[in-house]
Amino acid sequence: MTEKFRKAVAVALSLALALSMLGVAGCSTASDEGGDGGDGGDNANMGGTFNFYINEPAFIDPVNLQESEGTQVGQAVFDSLVGFDYLTSEIEPAAAATWEATEEAKVWTFNLVEGATFHNGDPVTAADFKYAWERICNPENESEISYHLASVLGYDAMQAGEATELEGVKAIDDYTLEVTLTESFADFEYVVGHPALAPVPQDAVENGTDVDGTMVAFGEMPIGNGPFMMSEPWAHDQYIKVARNDDYYGTPANIDGVDFRIFADQDTAFLEFQAGNIDMASIPVGQIQSTVEQYGESPDGYTANAGEQTLLGGELAIYYLLMNNTNETLKDPNVRAALSLAVNREQIAEKIFEGTRIPATGIVPPGIVGFQEDGFEYSKYDVEAAKAMLAEAGYPDGEGLPKIALEYNTGSGHEDILALVADDFAAIGIETELLGTEWGEYLDKLTEKTYMVGRLGWIADYPIMDNFLYPIFKSDSGDNYAFYNNATVDSMLEEARQETDGDARVETYREIEKIIGSEAAVIPVVFYRHTRVASDRVMDGVLSPNGLMNFEELYLSDGAATE
Amino acid sequence: MLKYILKRILQMIPVFLGVTLLLFVLRAPGVLPGDPVRMITGERAISDELRDQIIEANGLDKSLPQQYVIYLNNLAHGDLGESYQKQRSVVDILADKFPNTLRLAIAAIVIEIFMGVGAGLISAIKQRSFSDVFVTLTTSVLVSVPVFWLGMLLQMFFGIVVKDWTGGAVSLPISGMSSSNYPDWMHLILPAFTLASVSSAYVARIMRSQMLESMGQDYIRTARAKGLANNAVVRKHALKNALIPVVTFIGIDFGVMMSGAILTETIFSWPGVGREIFLAIGQRDWPVVIGGVIMIVFAVMFINLIIDVSYAFLDPRIRYGGAAE
Repeated sequence: MTEKFRKAVAVALSLALALSMLGVAGCSTASDEGGDGGDGGDNANMGGTFNFYINEPAFIDPVNLQESEGTQVGQAVFDSLVGFDYLTSEIEPAAAATWEATEEAKVWTFNLVEGATFHNGDPVTAADFKYAWERICNPENESEISYHLASVLGYDAMQAGEATELEGVKAIDDYTLEVTLTESFADFEYVVGHPALAPVPQDAVENGTDVDGTMVAFGEMPIGNGPFMMSEPWAHDQYIKVARNDDYYGTPANIDGVDFRIFADQDTAFLEFQAGNIDMASIPVGQIQSTVEQYGESPDGYTANAGEQTLLGGELAIYYLLMNNTNETLKDPNVRAALSLAVNREQIAEKIFEGTRIPATGIVPPGIVGFQEDGFEYSKYDVEAAKAMLAEAGYPDGEGLPKIALEYNTGSGHEDILALVADDFAAIGIETELLGTEWGEYLDKLTEKTYMVGRLGWIADYPIMDNFLYPIFKSDSGDNYAFYNNATVDSMLEEARQETDGDARVETYREIEKIIGSEAAVIPVVFYRHTRVASDRVMDGVLSPNGLMNFEELYLSDGAATE
Repeated sequence: MLKYILKRILQMIPVFLGVTLLLFVLRAPGVLPGDPVRMITGERAISDELRDQIIEANGLDKSLPQQYVIYLNNLAHGDLGESYQKQRSVVDILADKFPNTLRLAIAAIVIEIFMGVGAGLISAIKQRSFSDVFVTLTTSVLVSVPVFWLGMLLQMFFGIVVKDWTGGAVSLPISGMSSSNYPDWMHLILPAFTLASVSSAYVARIMRSQMLESMGQDYIRTARAKGLANNAVVRKHALKNALIPVVTFIGIDFGVMMSGAILTETIFSWPGVGREIFLAIGQRDWPVVIGGVIMIVFAVMFINLIIDVSYAFLDPRIRYGGAAE
């Protein structure tokens, strides 16, 4: 081999080696973001950027703010008429300073905070709310969340394309918004707290926002009225950056901003957390216990502080089994009760979810005002009682009972849960078969009532009992896939909506849950829990039961971005 | 040569149309499950009026052949439709992702060429030496290691372990394309190495065996007998001939990388085409799936064309002139 060729090979290999060694040579540089300790107030801990893990949102524009990830960003950028206490879920003023309803809770008047502005400086007026809500109801926008406004007068006409305005929404003046509902709804004040119902500035929606000479669409860089404003357009699948809005009409946030770091893979996000690059991540299944040991557990399950960093509080969501109440066999409440009693929820929570779920005792989860430990009479594991109920229904040891198909949508791990349920049913003599179908086809089966037993999950839009009872069990609700039909429950649900006394309303809902539970309309399986962990620099970091982070009030102990 | 290239380009048209037709048939009602309206509206109940409007707005009320013709017409105008899930133009979505995939693929191919060809050459030239044994062993390990495992191992080592060892002074970004802590180019290192790892091992093995085969040929002996320097023998005679299968492999591999490395992109949160299509399949977001696959098909056909043309330069015996056919 000549010297020349040796040199050539050596150069090639050196380059390859150099590339491979870059891994070792690469040095991290200290962040220059948020390291100045903040600029507002007397609090020495103010400032810094909070790095928060999310998946890629579907939308961050309120017109279609539909899932947890987008809603997380939406509630940082937008303020709706009311807000909720992050720990107690109690309602509190936001864009509306005060509000009142007529006696029958049919006409609502919201008095907006005067002087509040959008991030572009435009004033927030009642007309902006009207525009935003009509934008959601306009079928051309194909919003998946227009149902929030289904109780507003004129909703049906807009959805049918027969009207271009919501008849029930009137901007009386710049700061007075009047909303008329088709029927009484005392909990409507909670509905308007959803971030999707925030105001939007018409000009920015229609023309976009100028960013360095380029017009960026509203959906990519929404202009809101909330405590944080978009720093730059949404970098899809990478990040969404928001900065504190110093002109916020409320109390400005403690931190300089939030970097929503987008990951497709939860494990990768957790590695980033372990490397100290993000401040809050989800804990992968199987690592809950070790995370608690390493980072400590939050006493209340919702508030993160140094040494108490693992959040395992209950969420406002439930996993339940549907039973087709119109099915010849399952229309007998005794059969349904027997099935419900046969399910070993503890085993599902531990074996499948490794303790990240809580056995469900009713349909309304803890964290909702009115939660009761014994909401559903038969939502407990009792094999002997199940056998007795089955015998009472005329099927001793399951004899004579047709085979029950346990249906589920494939690809999301439901088959593991239903396999355990099948074993539980077998223990009381019921023969089953597992039947998995693709999601769209599965939903068709539910809609067309061609299933026997299926599964669904339900996540609260608003922290109220109504949100778990009215849509799932009202006989004419499109989301009542169990086809439960009880005239008493229907009229009580209507009554509850008309009850303006909060305590009395909650009491009615509790009664309703008991009635539905006594008929075992569905089988509650598990309530969801947080499985999040925060870095040790996060102080007073509250993740609410409905999964929304309180970015406004948390602060960072070092007041600087994570290196 | 020009005639050959033109012919190859013309051959691409029926392939291209065939792919679009196949994709369209696959999403026809009854072939694959799933109601497109459900994909657009989600699981919440909707009114019949709204359902009808969505069907009309998306042209779903037309027959499949009509939909196909409309799709081709739109395609000719650079319109791949709108994502059901994101309500964004598919062209915009793919335009966001394609440069990222290209960037990662190019970086991985560069690593693959340097490491694979270099290691294969050394291994062949210094047969049965320590270097040869080392390359053989390393490549054996690399081809048998799952990519996702290697990726996570690298993430843990360079992102956490090394960082801890050095008190935070030295580390590599674990994921994403940018962050405030590292320059952007550093984000490319781990995913590119991961993506290139298995292929580099294959390239090294192919390179080694091809070189050994070439070195044993008569023309090499003749070249040596003529008194040519070893360097010239290897470079001008053995290497050029040995490179043809290597180039073919690298070319095909580049095509595969262009279609997106789903595992690598997912582990490293690299926003590329493969991950986008993978997610879209899960969400039954057919416009994105079809648009993405069409783009990949186009890219792969283009790369194949370049590979075919490159053969002529590597081997003088290969000519694509009309007379040869």
